[in-house]
Amino acid sequence: MTSPMVDNEAEIVAEEHWAKKGDIDLFLFRKRRRDTQPDGKPVLFFVHGSSFSGRTAYDLTVPGRPGYSMMDRFAGRGYDVWTMDHEGYGRSTWSDGNSDIASGVEDLKAASVVVERETGAGSCAFYGQSSGALRAAAFANACPEKVDRLALAAFVWKGTGSATLAKRRERLAEWQNNTRRPVDAGFFHGMFTRDRPDYHDPEVPDAVAAAELPFGGSVPTGTYLDMCANLPVVDPLRISCPVMMIRGEFDGIAGEDDLFAFFSALPNKDKQFVFLRGQAHATQLGVNRHRFFHLLVDFLAMPERRDVEAEVG
Amino acid sequence: MSEICSHEYWVRKGDVDLYLFRKRRQAPRARSGEPLPVLFLVHGSSFCGRSGFDMQVAGHDDYSLMDAFADRGFDVWTMDHEGYGRSTRTDGNSDIANGVDDLEAGAAVVERETGLSRFAFYGQSSGALRAAAFAAAFPERATHLVLDAFVWTGEGAPTLIKRREKLDEWRSQSYRKVDVAFFHSIFNRDKPGLSEPFVPDALAEAELQHGDAVPTGTYLDMCAHLPVVDPGDVRCPVLIIRGEYDGIATEADLLNFFQALPNKDKQFAILPGQAHVAPLGVNRHRFWHVMESFLTMPARVDGAG
Repeated sequence: MTSPMVDNEAEIVAEEHWAKKGDIDLFLFRKRRRDTQPDGKPVLFFVHGSSFSGRTAYDLTVPGRPGYSMMDRFAGRGYDVWTMDHEGYGRSTWSDGNSDIASGVEDLKAASVVVERETGAGSCAFYGQSSGALRAAAFANACPEKVDRLALAAFVWKGTGSATLAKRRERLAEWQNNTRRPVDAGFFHGMFTRDRPDYHDPEVPDAVAAAELPFGGSVPTGTYLDMCANLPVVDPLRISCPVMMIRGEFDGIAGEDDLFAFFSALPNKDKQFVFLRGQAHATQLGVNRHRFFHLLVDFLAMPERRDVEAEVG
Repeated sequence: MSEICSHEYWVRKGDVDLYLFRKRRQAPRARSGEPLPVLFLVHGSSFCGRSGFDMQVAGHDDYSLMDAFADRGFDVWTMDHEGYGRSTRTDGNSDIANGVDDLEAGAAVVERETGLSRFAFYGQSSGALRAAAFAAAFPERATHLVLDAFVWTGEGAPTLIKRREKLDEWRSQSYRKVDVAFFHSIFNRDKPGLSEPFVPDALAEAELQHGDAVPTGTYLDMCAHLPVVDPGDVRCPVLIIRGEYDGIATEADLLNFFQALPNKDKQFAILPGQAHVAPLGVNRHRFWHVMESFLTMPARVDGAG
């Protein structure tokens, strides 16, 4: 199903699509420049995290504050940009499940069928943030042939030394006993202030709440449960594509040693590990998001190798 | 490529004359009226500034790192350290500490000519040690630091293990002989096939006109005196670039250095299809891409940048 929409001012074309995963309907959203060809453009897929859906994370409108749509940013650069709402989030079916990381991988498999059908691209670049990075990396484990490049922001591997996860584990029984957890405006404010209070525009948490709460005021617990009790859920040795890891200076979701160990274990030597000052957990919604965008653009635009190994490797 | 102009400069360090070379676009200032951003390239142990960073090869017009970044809008400088290239050949061995003194003298010329007192530094191999040691000694001079083919403690580095076999030679002599075969070995010791076949000969042709010997000081430092840089003293943003097959350091040694850097604006990039000499490798365009991205990172807007 497709519902074309056009933002005339930005010359960005938007479409809605749906994928099926058994009985579950999964919502997909696509943005691209009007003047680019329908086929052959680089496809870029954004994977959302634990607490809000795809468009809230990547196509957010903040009153009086332009430039918060990461989809617009990359569509404007010629990318064919996609995101989705995972099972139990946003416009996708709210099931009885807790939408854990493994479920998210199945969502991405279903979505990739739609992306390939619509774009002709059998593989694309993936960006995931927070537990979205876990979903994206786990998808790269499961379907390496579908992932050309992988950018992981606010990622965590084993969780060792994670301040945020230590705090979150205090409510582990709640995540184990319930498939959903309530969210409200106070919760969204807490996401932006828990590490450092000064690296986001003050209107952003309310804009996130305004975008997300109309879906119902609760989100699944599966990724919280996985991050608190089931890590690691990704094997770095089975990620075959180039990887960029992005770490906000004050992000409490992972300990530095944990991320260094993951980075060291990645077998593809086309890899980058970037620290960003003036960033906490919400990478693409922080006040310094333009610096993150700069890095991601350049990672995605890395020129091709010219040596023989590139042809076989 | 836009038209590039070049200038030569000289600076005195005591009795030593040090040669500097500069390339930039014809227009000396950016559109904003501000001076062009300065990028200072620091050479390594075995060839001088222009040989490594401004190599001109007939039929191949993209081997000059200076041209590449001048074309990208930088005011690009390099120098020949004491005992190298056009600079005075003294009795000294031109070790890392000596190179820091050279850079101090060179930076004064750059400031006089550009009006900028702080700029970006790129160092390759022992040039990365010189640049990092300079940034540690003069943090007010370095806005950005790119360390390519760097080594910190040297632990487990295959190239340095091999090089230590001649440690007595590096200790007892200030200069070591170089020839065409030596320049070939630089490109073939880690992984043959990652540079075009004519590059070692072109490098030898450029370098041997200055003589058939280069100082031993950086070899001695890398074999016997590491570490010579404390990451805790490096205050500016840092990019570490590591060629996949570079034997000058282990990945673990570099990641330990990276982790200890106090400035959280830092990047670590491993480049496949690269060995020790990224600027002259077949995939040098990818190295340029990563370095340009780092050097053009936008400013922070949170008031603390």
